[in-house]
Amino acid sequence: MMKTRVLGVAALLAVAAATFVALAVVPADLNQGDAQRIMYPHVASAWLAYLSFGVTALGGIAWLWKRDLRYDAVALAGAEIGVMFTAFAIWGGMMWGRPVWGVFWQWEDPRLTTTALLLALYVGYLLLRRLTDDPERRATRAAVVGVVAAVDIPIVHFSVEWWRGLHQTATIASPDRVLDPAAPMAFVGTLLGMLGAFTLAWAYLMIRRYQLARAELAREERARVELLAAAR
Amino acid sequence: MTDAGFVIAAYGVIVGGLALYTLNLWRRLRAVSRDDRAP
Amino acid sequence: MSVLRAEARVALAIARKDALAELRGRHATVSTLFFAAVVLLLFGFALGPDAARLAAAAPGLLWLAVMFAGILAVNRLHLLETDDGALEQLALYPVARRAIYAGKALAGFGAMLLLGLLVLGAVGVLFAVDIAAAWPPLLATVILGALGVAAVGTFYAGVTVRLRAREVMLPLLMLPVLAPLLLGAVKATSAALAGDPFGELAAWLQLMVAFDVVMIVAGLATYGFLLDE
Repeated sequence: MMKTRVLGVAALLAVAAATFVALAVVPADLNQGDAQRIMYPHVASAWLAYLSFGVTALGGIAWLWKRDLRYDAVALAGAEIGVMFTAFAIWGGMMWGRPVWGVFWQWEDPRLTTTALLLALYVGYLLLRRLTDDPERRATRAAVVGVVAAVDIPIVHFSVEWWRGLHQTATIASPDRVLDPAAPMAFVGTLLGMLGAFTLAWAYLMIRRYQLARAELAREERARVELLAAAR
Repeated sequence: MTDAGFVIAAYGVIVGGLALYTLNLWRRLRAVSRDDRAP
Repeated sequence: MSVLRAEARVALAIARKDALAELRGRHATVSTLFFAAVVLLLFGFALGPDAARLAAAAPGLLWLAVMFAGILAVNRLHLLETDDGALEQLALYPVARRAIYAGKALAGFGAMLLLGLLVLGAVGVLFAVDIAAAWPPLLATVILGALGVAAVGTFYAGVTVRLRAREVMLPLLMLPVLAPLLLGAVKATSAALAGDPFGELAAWLQLMVAFDVVMIVAGLATYGFLLDE
């Protein structure tokens, strides 16, 4: 419990520091100007969204295999936090897109469209969970849906890349350009710092959400026991 | 909106969203542990 | 090897049972087909009357109509299950679980193929596109698309069969997953109708094949768990 609190404080400080560096220390991009600063939390959010959903898929598989509801709690935490980071990534992408592309949305950007679909898939996952009351049935339904959603993501990504590639438009600027090996060290360093800070925050939130899931599960169980006792 | 506006909008929602979610989690955790203590 | 053959027999038996039930309750099948026709009609009102614009949009409209009607089709195929307890009995044998999915998906494929071909014909007539000229690649596209929708739809129909608010949850879960198949099918149809000027038809068909393979494998692997309910 104490270690989690330390993690939380560390995450808070790291996010504050990374934000400060990204906004006030690192220079603006020559081509994209200040708008390029958005790319740091945008890319970090996207990576954590994918990580979260990977956790959800693995948690689901672990439930199907071991039948321990704690794995399902992990999966739930991953999905809820994943949806949050996905929303951040989309928002960041749109805020970056407007100044740089001139439009909020670009259908041929594989990252943006894949992420939008990711949001749809996992909001569906969360709604499905909410509509199932029995914990084990809920865990099983969620697990199989989570697995199918996870295998769909690479296919979506490839299909949109193909879509862009075959259309032969002028190369639209991508938010990921900072990942280009030729990018200046300051940009890469800032991105890694932001990613590290966000990952600390992610870890803290995952632990807390997992604890909440366990506590709610216990409360559900108690309510069910009381109901049975009252029925007698 | 100038570029700065978009930057602020982006960071505001993302960092602010993290903060709000954290507070929300704390609130839900408190609510659940309160139920534990009440009969 | 004989285990696999037993599974295949079970799958075919289930497919036959579902198909016969479908044919006997013919009005339900016809309603689904008419729903697709109504969707196409509405597209005509929404995007018409410019013939050129409709012809350009035809591939997209074709596959949207197929997918929307497909939701109704897979939904109905799973309603048949809650009636007889035979499925619960069958689910007790682990060997049979994959076969249950395969059988239902096969029946779904039959329904989707019929739907796809009829909608293709309707689109040809309503939006003035020449489907006869490019019928081999168009047929391939319809087959692959029908397979994908059946594989995914059967799976999600199984997920939602006893779920609250299933009328909205089935499409909400199914459609995002189908997005890459939709993209591939529309691009392939579009390329086929244009005579494949950029040589991209093969690539899109390959995408559809990859999607179908992945989804069928995923369905076979996971559907059985749903039968434990």
